[in-house]
Formats: sequence, structure tokens, C-alpha cells
Amino acid sequence: MNIHPRPNPIIAALYMLRDIDIDVVVIHGPSGCGFMASRMIEDAGIRVVTTAMDDNDLIFGASEKLESVLRETEKRFGPRTIAVIGTCSSMIIGEDMRASIGRSGVNCKVIAVDCHGCMGDNTAGAIKAVEASEDAGIIPHGEAERQKHLLSMATKMEKERGMASVTYLPPSNGPTKLGAAKRIIGCLSDGGRLAVIQVSKKELAYRFSDIFLAADYACGKLGGETKFIANLDPNKGLPRVRRYASDILSELDENNISVDIAGGLDEYAVIGEDLRKKVSSFGPDLVVIAGIPHAYPDLNRDQILITDQPRQLSNYLSKGYDAVGEISSHLMVMNVRRIVPTETGDTIREILRDEC
Amino acid sequence: MRRIALYGKGGIGKSTIASNLTVSLSNKGYRVMQIGCDPKADSTKLLLGGRSPPTVLDAMKRGRSAGEAIVRGTGGCYCAECGGPRPGTGCAGRGIIAAFERMEKDGVIEKIAPDVLIYDVLGDVVCGGFAMPIRNGYAKDVFIVSSGEMMSLYAASNIAMAVSDLRGVGYAELRGIIQNSKGTEGEDTAVDRAASEMGTEVIRRVPRDKAVQRCETAGKTVAEGDPDSELSKEYGRLADAVLRLSSDTEGGMRNV
Repeated sequence: MNIHPRPNPIIAALYMLRDIDIDVVVIHGPSGCGFMASRMIEDAGIRVVTTAMDDNDLIFGASEKLESVLRETEKRFGPRTIAVIGTCSSMIIGEDMRASIGRSGVNCKVIAVDCHGCMGDNTAGAIKAVEASEDAGIIPHGEAERQKHLLSMATKMEKERGMASVTYLPPSNGPTKLGAAKRIIGCLSDGGRLAVIQVSKKELAYRFSDIFLAADYACGKLGGETKFIANLDPNKGLPRVRRYASDILSELDENNISVDIAGGLDEYAVIGEDLRKKVSSFGPDLVVIAGIPHAYPDLNRDQILITDQPRQLSNYLSKGYDAVGEISSHLMVMNVRRIVPTETGDTIREILRDEC
Repeated sequence: MRRIALYGKGGIGKSTIASNLTVSLSNKGYRVMQIGCDPKADSTKLLLGGRSPPTVLDAMKRGRSAGEAIVRGTGGCYCAECGGPRPGTGCAGRGIIAAFERMEKDGVIEKIAPDVLIYDVLGDVVCGGFAMPIRNGYAKDVFIVSSGEMMSLYAASNIAMAVSDLRGVGYAELRGIIQNSKGTEGEDTAVDRAASEMGTEVIRRVPRDKAVQRCETAGKTVAEGDPDSELSKEYGRLADAVLRLSSDTEGGMRNV
């Protein structure tokens, strides 16, 4: 059991619906439910509204309120697709969301995602969103099956090595980026071989790809040799996720940086072996792993790990790894189309600007 | 104030027992209030000439005070129905909790200041909401209404278990079984045995009598519609037994 705060199935469903490019999400529950994630999803261009259930709705049911919100949503936003997500309150009282959707009389495509916060693994909510989207013909069967497999593998990885593997993790901001930057600079200054792996979860690649830019800049100034590996396959995943990979590859290409591709941005949990082979064939003096470092099967204390999660950082530091945190990265990448500088990258650039 | 909760399987005659108890106690000079804890809101119908009373939850929904849903019934008793959602919607258990909280907040019980408060609770203890009367100090003494039929005794056993679980934190306690007889063979023995297994006893046996149906068709309790009948006298004896076995404690809606 984990007692530190973790996202629940409602939040996972929200993010999956964003990936599926649903236009509007209606959260059928109290107004505060999922509000932090909703704000972030809205930054990514998805509208999120709530039925704002109150105590009367809990007692008497909220079907009429849901119907009314659906009509208002269609009138206000003119969406092609709407998803209604269940919450603890609406699901415990047995709300029939499909019946309400039918009675609402809206003309656009509306799907019901039967999920609530007590379903166990957060990916259970994402899987419900995938299934509802497949049933409505929004995503094809093959992609739905692929997504469900990847979600189950992500859960397995988190339970084995991630934040779900420990009962409690305190949040940590970790050390400054100076030590990590100096080690990267030191490796290249000595003419060493630097391998940078980026194994990101979807939109976070917009931030962690900056390590490639910074390492390439350092290599140009100092010498040495670099190898860049990333899960940036632009031909895998849902259209939105493919677009992220295309954006980033284009920007790297503008900077004459080539990347050895290892899977798509939603495949972080299943590409560990592929990453290891690519690193092994390069024979690096130093390995930097950015994104979800524990997706890499051979972590050791000589590597540099870069994560965005304060609790994951705490997990790495407690095991003696050399790790730094690019905290709050998620907030910075919700509606971007270009790579966002990291503190680690900026530290490398700053040191080299001052010293060279 | 005596705070009494009547539980039992659905359809076993709780409301009939509760209403006759209310009238019998009123006839003995007690100030009595009966609170129906069932979304059907039909506990107090017999006290109101067969009329459906307003409900606390409807009053709440309209933004009115709980006091507006309290009406006077037979013999001057006070009647309240918690009310609840239509079948198949919402959460009736949450409704009971919300209605109790609202009645308490509005000081309904303090204003009426009854000598005896009788909660007539839906069927089984199906969720936390329906256990509300026996926790948090609302009711102090629980009586289970049961016939000798197997399913009725099974429900009674479940209710006894729920009361027993809550007894540890100082709330309501089971005071006995009220046998509402169906007239089945070996009924008294079956109820006695079940009561013993629950660690309690049968406090009165109410006989099966056509007077009940006759009076209910007229929208009345037996105690009102046929006051000189043997059944009415039995309700009077039941009222005495309930008074003897219940505790008279201080406080408002709750004794905490």
C-alpha cells in the first residue's frame, strides 16, 4: 500500500482523454474533484467542466443536472466529442451516465467513462477511457489494445521500481544541478563518451529533450563524444503523442542533433532492454538518464538520473543514486510545441559561457 | 428523553408497530415523536389518516427548515419523515444522514421536547446511513421487530450484529425482540431460539389479528380505530415494556 499522495483513476482517465483528443470532459461529481489536473488539461486545449454535485444531488441523484450540463456544454463549446467521467460520488450512488447522455439530446458524440477514485491502480481509469473511446469508434481496436497493454506495463513498472513500490516517500527537491552539470562537463572535457538517454512519458519529452541540446552544446565546446537515445518514434501512439515526437525531432534536427530512436513516447515502460542494448553498443564513460530513469533496467550509482517527480527523486536519492529533479516540469509543458529549457541544461550552458 | 429505534426486515410490520406504539404512549400521556427513516416516507401515514406527510429532505431541497416538515398526528403526536430519492436514483442512506444533521441543526427536537422519540428504520441495516439512528447518540435503545419466518429472523440477526458492533463505542444497545406474529407453526419457539442466539429476549408477542388490516384500510392505527380491542390492549402492554426497558436520558436530538 502507498500512503503518499498519488493520482487516482479519475485523473488518469482525464489525461488519457486529453491524449485521445476529446474536446470537452464533463466531470460528473463535486466541483473540486480533479480540479488541479483539470486546470492543467485545460492548458493543453481541452475544456473541462463539472456537474458540481451537491448534497441534494447525492441524495436524490444528479441525472437531470448532468443532462443540463451536457446541453450547456454543446451550446457553449460546439464540441465534436464529449466525455463524461464518473467520480466517487456519482458512481457510489449508481448514476446511469449513459441514460443521461441519451436523454440530454445533444448531437455530438458523447462517451461515458465509468470510473471513480477507489478502483485501485490509477491506470484503471485510463483503461476505462480507452475502452469507452474504442466503443464509440474514436480510436481503433488495435490502438486500444496497444494502449491497454502499455498502461498495464506502466503499472507493473511503477509497482516494481517506481513510486508505487514504496509505502511512503517524502517529496524532495534534491540537490542543485551544479554537481550533475560538472560531471557531464568533466566527462566531455576529458574526451570521454557521454550517453544521454531520454525515456519520457509523453509531453514531458518537451522538457527532457533539453538535455540533448545542452550536452550537444557542451560537446561542441569541449570535445568528447555523445550518443543520444530517446523514445521519440513519431510513428507510434495516438495522434497527439506522435505530434509531440515530431515537434521535438524537428527542433533537434534544426540543431543538427540526431537521436537513436527507441520506441514511442507512450512506450516508456516496455523499452528498457532496447535502451540497454543501444547504450551497451556505445560503451559510454558516463550515462545520463532523463525522464523516467527507472524505466532503464540497469541503474547504478555512476549514472546521473534526472526526473521531474519530487517523490521519485527522493526514491532515487534514498538508494544512493546521483539524481536531480526538474521539479514542476509538467506545468511547463502542457501547451508547448518547442523544447523547454531545464535547470540542468541551463547550468551546463551557464558554466560553459562563463568558463569558455 | 427516551430514544428508541425500531428495526426489522422490510414488510414485517415495523411501521404498524411503531405507529401503534406512538398512539399508545400518547394515550398514556407521553409527548411522542415518530421519525420515519425510509425513502418511501410512509412510516407515519397511519398517524395522519392515511395522508402522505411532507418530508425533511424535500424541505431541505427547497431551502426550507426541517421544522416545516413536522406535522401533528393522532393523539397530538409529532410526525417526521426523512424522505429520500425516487427508487433507483441517488442515495437513500446519505439522505437519512443529511436529514438527521438538518433536524439537529434546526433544533427540531429541542423545540418539540418529546418524552419519547421513536425511529422507524427501513428494513435491514443496508449501509452506514441506515445505521445512523443507532450511532452518534441518536437512539439509545434498539428493538427488532420480527416474525418467526426464516428471512425475518435472518434480518433480525444481521441487525443485532450491527448493533453489537456499535455497542462497543457506547451507542445504542439491543433491548429485545418484538414478535409481530404471522401465526406460523412453532413460531414462538423459533423466535425465542433466535433471540437467545442474539443474546436477547422476546419482550412481547403481538398476535396476528384482522383488526390491523381493517384499521389500516381506514387510515388508522388499531390503538385509534379499535381502542377497546384485545390487540389495542396488547399494544398498550408493549408500550409499557418499551418504557421499562429503555433509558430516560438527557440531551437534545442526541445523548452524547
